[in-house]
Amino acid sequence: MPEAKLLENLKYLFNPRTVAVIGASDNPNKLGAHVMKSLTQGGFEGRILPVNPSAKTIMGIEAMGSVLDSSIPIDLAVVVVPAQFVPAVFEQCVSKNVRGIVLITAGFKEIDDPQGAKLQEKVRRLATKAAIPVIGPNTFGMINLNRNLNASFTPQFSLLQKGKLTLVSQSGGMSHLLAFMAMKQEVGFSKVVGLGNRLNVDFPDMVSYLMEDPDTEVIMLYLEGLDQPRRLLEAASRGRGKKPIIAYKTGRAESGDRASLSHTGSLAGNHDIYRGGFRQAGILCLDSSEALLDTARAMLMCPPPKGRKVAILSGQAGPAMAAGDFCEANGLEIAAFDSGTQKVINELLPPLALRTNPVDLGPAWYDARAIAGIVGAVMEDKNVDAILLLMMFASANRGAIASVSDLALRWKQQKPLITCLAAPQGIWEKQVKELEQSGALTNLPTPERAAQALVNLWEYRKIMEK
Amino acid sequence: MGEKEKIIEQALSEGRNTLSEYESKRLLHAYDIPVTNEVLVRGYDDFKGAIQKVGFPLVIKACAPDLAHKTEQGLVRVDIRNEEEAQQAYEEIMLKVQGSGGGILVQEMVKGHRELMVGMTRDAQFGPCVMFGLGGIFTEILKDVVFRVAPIERKDALEMTREIKAHKILGEVRGMPPADIDELVRILINVGQMGLDHEPIKEVDINPLILSGSKPIAADALVVLAPPT
Repeated sequence: MPEAKLLENLKYLFNPRTVAVIGASDNPNKLGAHVMKSLTQGGFEGRILPVNPSAKTIMGIEAMGSVLDSSIPIDLAVVVVPAQFVPAVFEQCVSKNVRGIVLITAGFKEIDDPQGAKLQEKVRRLATKAAIPVIGPNTFGMINLNRNLNASFTPQFSLLQKGKLTLVSQSGGMSHLLAFMAMKQEVGFSKVVGLGNRLNVDFPDMVSYLMEDPDTEVIMLYLEGLDQPRRLLEAASRGRGKKPIIAYKTGRAESGDRASLSHTGSLAGNHDIYRGGFRQAGILCLDSSEALLDTARAMLMCPPPKGRKVAILSGQAGPAMAAGDFCEANGLEIAAFDSGTQKVINELLPPLALRTNPVDLGPAWYDARAIAGIVGAVMEDKNVDAILLLMMFASANRGAIASVSDLALRWKQQKPLITCLAAPQGIWEKQVKELEQSGALTNLPTPERAAQALVNLWEYRKIMEK
Repeated sequence: MGEKEKIIEQALSEGRNTLSEYESKRLLHAYDIPVTNEVLVRGYDDFKGAIQKVGFPLVIKACAPDLAHKTEQGLVRVDIRNEEEAQQAYEEIMLKVQGSGGGILVQEMVKGHRELMVGMTRDAQFGPCVMFGLGGIFTEILKDVVFRVAPIERKDALEMTREIKAHKILGEVRGMPPADIDELVRILINVGQMGLDHEPIKEVDINPLILSGSKPIAADALVVLAPPT
């Protein structure tokens, strides 16, 4: 046991047939009501069993006094009772052979009172001895969109589209933020997991689990600090190359030991060591929540670039400059086109535009054939490893997207195609979404973010080289 | 007990938490890390022999455990070119270190304009970590350093040499030859191994690691110990 059994039980935790809500309530001032809403409104297709000794029904579903009253097996218990009742609840869950627990309740190790840590240790022993994986305590919960399972206190997580990204986070706030960003960008998720105080399910356990999870293709981590970071490095190394792991770690202010006798000791900031260690283990480190989501999207849709040479094709000069600056400052090169490509561009564009890379497509705004011709030639250019296509809407270039759509659909990113096709609300949106959904490109809101996503794809490719 | 263990055990048995520069370099040498040619002397007669052996120009330093930041304390004389200068330096430094149980280190003067730094630190969570960065007087000002968790592989060490902001210093610059990257890689791997092999080693500083032509040489070194608790 117990680790292998614990991991095995995580499958039930994330894919339960029956979910008990211990501390369920109809009172909107209690978290138990919000959790019930999440489960019932989220479309969960399994059984929901509200547990509350002083209610007959909750949200119209018959309630029971304890999990022991259930006549059917329980795969997942979501626990929202006050901290002092948690040990007794856990004992009942052990007796009932509950397979997994989401412990939302706060008031454990995170509080100043040392009693909190003591209580946490007590329930940890109970759960771990019975090989019950516990997400939490002190968490919003978790969501598995592919099962319509919203085991959190925020029903709106169910608004997320289904997808292949999984976020494992140490912060409830960042999980909510990333989910809202994803909703706006219509990015799909597989799971969002708030680890909270990490009773017996920690980052390395989740990484091991997700490496085998068919619903997850990119693993996103948000973390602040770990007790045993080497365990995460080991778990990531074991799954190296299987699925990308990208991480955003905050808490970089923490500096080295100033009292240290050596330079090395005084310079050894915790953040720098994380960065280095993550890289060794094949985890790409990112610097913002935006970059985390953008990069996850790009990794899901784009192949890794084979080299560092990028072509920038832009409807306007300014965005091309912005993207080019970012690329060059971060390890990418502006490709020198093959003479054949350059010939095509020179024929299709008048000499008044920038015709070498970056290419200013401005004079071709009205000319669908020219745009398609140039993009097509650059796609086939052996000197180009990736393409950034940037186009800011103007009334006169409205047809520009249509002119490259077929080409992009047929080409299907033989090299990464990251775009910034920006327009006022309601324009181009549907076309761009369709192109994204068919895997033809990844579209990001600014040229710099498009460039950054490409830089990160290249960084990841370098990390993976052995 | 091998030489490495002997050096460490000796210091621990004396209740020290650092190795002297001389001891630190013996340990580095045992890990195949190139160090300056040097002789530790306790008296003037030895000193004269040491000068002959090392040859001018040379460096004279005070050498005792718990002597960090020697330059700031005026315990280092560099670019000594003849016996007269050597004798003067010897007398001045001897005055300052008398009674401390230390000695005088007569050291070859490594010529090179590029100063790097290699280190090891035992992080409370990660365990032994390897550091690489810009050394010498810029260490604390620019803080241009990168870390990896030991043990490191060749690929990790190579990345470290490319990851510092000033990585171009390792290339062919201003008529200086490119740094011997293979040698740097070996040093980085081996300093990580030191941390893995010896629990009592808390930190290692090789600063500066001077590029003499293309070859890196440890010109100063400090090993910090943490007695087993």
